[in-house]
Amino acid sequence: MPDAEKAFAGERIEALHAAADDVLRVEHIAKRFGPITALRDVNLHLRKGEVLGLLGDNGAGKSTLIKILCGFHRPDSGSMWCKGQPYAPKSVDDARAHGIDTVYQDLALVDQLTAYQNLFLHREKLFSPLPFLNNMMMRRESRKALDEIGINIPRLDVPVARLSGGQRQAIAVARTVSSEADILLLDEPLAAMGAKEGGMILDLIGRLKEEGRVSIMMILHNYVHVFAACDRVSLIADGVIALDKPTSGTTIDELNEIVVEQYRRARAAERAGREAQDNAA
Amino acid sequence: MATRFLSLREGSIIVVTIVTIVYFASSTSNYFTYANFKGLLPYFCFLAIMAAGQVFVMTLGEIDLSIGALYLFTPFMYWKLTQAGIPLVPSLILSLVIGAGLGAVNGIFVAYVGIASFVATLAMLFFLDGLTLIISHSEQISMPGTSVVHVGTFAQIFGAGTYSELIWAIAIAIVLQIVLALTRWGIYTVATGGNRLGAAEAGINVRLVVLRNFMLCAVTAGIAGILEGVRTSSITPDPSGSNQFLLYAVAAVIIGGTLMTGGEGTVIGALIGALFIGVLQDGMAIKGVSADYLYFYLGIAVIIAMTMNVLVRRVRVRSGRA
Repeated sequence: MPDAEKAFAGERIEALHAAADDVLRVEHIAKRFGPITALRDVNLHLRKGEVLGLLGDNGAGKSTLIKILCGFHRPDSGSMWCKGQPYAPKSVDDARAHGIDTVYQDLALVDQLTAYQNLFLHREKLFSPLPFLNNMMMRRESRKALDEIGINIPRLDVPVARLSGGQRQAIAVARTVSSEADILLLDEPLAAMGAKEGGMILDLIGRLKEEGRVSIMMILHNYVHVFAACDRVSLIADGVIALDKPTSGTTIDELNEIVVEQYRRARAAERAGREAQDNAA
Repeated sequence: MATRFLSLREGSIIVVTIVTIVYFASSTSNYFTYANFKGLLPYFCFLAIMAAGQVFVMTLGEIDLSIGALYLFTPFMYWKLTQAGIPLVPSLILSLVIGAGLGAVNGIFVAYVGIASFVATLAMLFFLDGLTLIISHSEQISMPGTSVVHVGTFAQIFGAGTYSELIWAIAIAIVLQIVLALTRWGIYTVATGGNRLGAAEAGINVRLVVLRNFMLCAVTAGIAGILEGVRTSSITPDPSGSNQFLLYAVAAVIIGGTLMTGGEGTVIGALIGALFIGVLQDGMAIKGVSADYLYFYLGIAVIIAMTMNVLVRRVRVRSGRA
């Protein structure tokens, strides 16, 4: 039985392909927000040096999973391992100390701060031992980091509110890529970008993959991007992993089919629920 | 050049203040005199200190309504401590520490319990006003460490010297402006006020940022209260008077260029805003205008300064500047 059918048949995909070189592994992760179940039972792993694409419909729980991995949310149950060690981040800082850094879907930029202040937010360079911000150094290093990504932002000293969506996104990506982290979590890093800027980010991810230092997990919506950039793809549906395959072993058609099938099932369940309600009435 | 100046956050209040000074100078004969300068200081120095702390809270997008009550309560606390036999300076420091603790209570209710700062600090306002009346038995007291006939070193330093309050006000404004613009404390305050979720996602402990800024704000209000107590050598438990200063301080912060919505603030602007309120009060006093007109003009001035701020912001956007 293919993975997808197994998932729909109610069987859960264990982290079948889990291996010793996993930098990140999660088992049976569940998370509820009040009455809403975001994640039911997620098993997932990220291998060293690989780029994993995380797919799923809106509300499937992708962002929640990222926010658990990066220490922003705590899971209700389940266990996690980072580089072979049990991993239970208490905070975003704690996750960073483990080498995990994140580009959030909302970018986590402060409009009133400048590009370089945002790039170094909570990682400020100081005139040590004095407690003053070394703005000059941060500006210089920001320029360098953005040059490396190949994104040109003419002025780094204006509030980021003045920048375009793509430029803002580039700053958020640069912030994470230029950190010390070796596990990068990217929540829709291409969402606000034009084709050219998006291509630059995909090139950057390709370069990072070649270097092999970092492992990347990213949420994407565009299947073309998935096949362009990812080694493997995991599909979250209804709070569980419904598919986990190397991109070479699947096709856009298969992914589409699963999502459409998922949608039909949801509709059918909804209809059944309504009918049951009507009958009860 | 003109655009550049006006595009400063503080630009509009500087212009309004200068225009006001020119008006008073041209309509009175003895404006630029030493006596008038000395007369001006008590109007604005303590306000500038209260406003400096409030800038941090308002940069967070919050407000502290209890600073008038803290301004009143802290010198009474100081008086109580000296009555318990504690020497002057330790009493002074201890009373400010207690003030910081009360600010922490504000901060805990806002950041951790999740009560709107307007409500939490309003409760603190009533609580402290009541407490002040209780511990003072509603009676005026003379400020420990001061004397009407002789001004000692302690009093010289803490408010009674001619320039004492001015030096405190300028020193506090400069230090806090540096903190706001050039340290992590400041940048986290701006980040928390500008995008609380984003700041938290970046790993900033936003609750702690809120908490410590309420503490800072409470301490500056306490310093202002003690300096004024020492300067006048007595304190009257008059909550309506001290809550008036709360409103002046908030006005100084706003017309100085700090946004009420959070994410932008300037201590130097608040200092000039306080100066403007002082200039207005002092100028009307020497012109012999009834104090009733003060509110009238202050209302007009607040609207003019804020309108200029809005217009200047548009100029800034157009010229692509910060």
